[in-house]
Amino acid sequence: MSYAYLFKYIIIGDTGVGKSCLLLQFTDKRFQPVHDLTIGVEFGARMITIDGKQIKLQIWDTAGQESFRSITRSYYRGAAGALLVYDITRRDTFTHLTTWLEDARQHSNSNMVIMLIGNKTDLESRRDVKKEEGEAFAREHGLIFMETSAKTAANVEEAFINTAKEIYEKIQEGVFDINNEANGIKIGPQHSPSSPHAPSGSLGQQAGGGCC
Amino acid sequence: MATAVKVDGYGFERPEDFDFETYEEFMSRYLSVLVRRAKKWEQLFGSSPLEDHLKRSSKVKRYTRKGIPGDKRALVWMTMSGALARMQANPGVYQRLLEAPTHDDPVIDAIRTDIHRTFPENVFFVDAPEGQRVPLFNVLVAFARRRPDVGYCQGLNFVAGMLLLVVKDEERSFWLLDAFVGGVVPTGYYTPAMTGLRTDTRVLAELVRARWPDVDATMRREGATFDLVATKWFVCAYVDVLPVETLLRIWDSLFYEGAKVVFRVAVTMVARQRARVAAARGLADVVSAFRVAIDDPANTFAHDFMADVFRVPGSFPMATIDKLREQCERAVLEEDR
Repeated sequence: MSYAYLFKYIIIGDTGVGKSCLLLQFTDKRFQPVHDLTIGVEFGARMITIDGKQIKLQIWDTAGQESFRSITRSYYRGAAGALLVYDITRRDTFTHLTTWLEDARQHSNSNMVIMLIGNKTDLESRRDVKKEEGEAFAREHGLIFMETSAKTAANVEEAFINTAKEIYEKIQEGVFDINNEANGIKIGPQHSPSSPHAPSGSLGQQAGGGCC
Repeated sequence: MATAVKVDGYGFERPEDFDFETYEEFMSRYLSVLVRRAKKWEQLFGSSPLEDHLKRSSKVKRYTRKGIPGDKRALVWMTMSGALARMQANPGVYQRLLEAPTHDDPVIDAIRTDIHRTFPENVFFVDAPEGQRVPLFNVLVAFARRRPDVGYCQGLNFVAGMLLLVVKDEERSFWLLDAFVGGVVPTGYYTPAMTGLRTDTRVLAELVRARWPDVDATMRREGATFDLVATKWFVCAYVDVLPVETLLRIWDSLFYEGAKVVFRVAVTMVARQRARVAAARGLADVVSAFRVAIDDPANTFAHDFMADVFRVPGSFPMATIDKLREQCERAVLEEDR
């Protein structure tokens, strides 16, 4: 299946907030209650449609533990979108957002779209961070914001797709230089006449191709 | 097969798509290997205490490379890694480490978060009193206290979990973990800056470059580093990466010969997927090629795999590794400045 654009995403945030589960829910539409923890970097892919155009999302899922940041950081740079995730039942994961944000801003391109995600809304009774707090943090730092549940799939599609819409709008506005792949955007093979290295085969043609 | 066994000998549930045919083919040959090796070890060591025989010798090295019999594995690992000596020199230390008061410590929280995420598909890693979750928690907490410079680093949970499954004894598993981090693998694998780990992924890149410039060229072009593809291989020493039988054989040699075995395995895996990696287009495609290296059914054939590990990478002088480490470490430290 061909695509008009490929967008690269990264998913970041503290360990255990549900990054890999969000990715799995998005690519495979399933929830794994006991998920092996992610060490290093994994990735998944899925095709979506925006404005009648096929867009391939290539999503890099990173280890949350701090020491791994020296490794995962180098993959921030080539990303057009970032999902910054915290767990609404663990306040410390919310408190750490500032550090994550600084790290992301410092190591990525300045136009990267960042979606703040408060995950685990299925655990409402254990909620430790109010929705308003998430909204306020997002407003203050110029992020988009959503609360999701990787378990029930609530807002998971929307989180990934709204991020893509924002990137797409920025392309339309001419904010992104789409000829520079370092921005995490690639024009599909049939859309650029001179692209000898365009991916033509194996990977991510089907949803969830390379996840986990 | 009439009845497919859903759990393997180490308690791992087999996934729905488990390749029983390949496994059967492997086991039908491997069982006779195991019987032969067990007989050889008996002949070599007779009835005198095993420890007396484990002096470094080319014969023991050869025997180890061909696999330690399951019933001797724990003791041989303990002896060769120095874990037994550590344990004997520190009576009561493990208990005392556990008895220290547990505060609202972020390290302990981090360990707690990962306990139920360690081998969720293993029947021994359950909350039941006889399950391995409490021992795993204890081993990791005691280790974090013994080595505050490391604390807890993800990956140690898999290493400790595997040790518990093989050794089946909490205190011995603890001392093996201590010897593993403090001697078997290089320093700086599990410390916050991960300098040793990042050094070794770069050393691997150099080893690959010297052998297969085409693989190196593709990886450079696509911006793929061995940080990206091999971090888990190194941090987990192949636990949760390769099939269990194969993993145990790797660890047999790892505990005897040390960390260069980790490189031998990595280089062998790259060699097996060389064409696929070299032909990859795009970063995702490179990563997928390495996924194939992990999922390769050929990895099941532990005996053949290990034969390749000691043949395919060619000679592996420690002097070369040391020199590369020195170079690569400089680059890592430079990057962190």
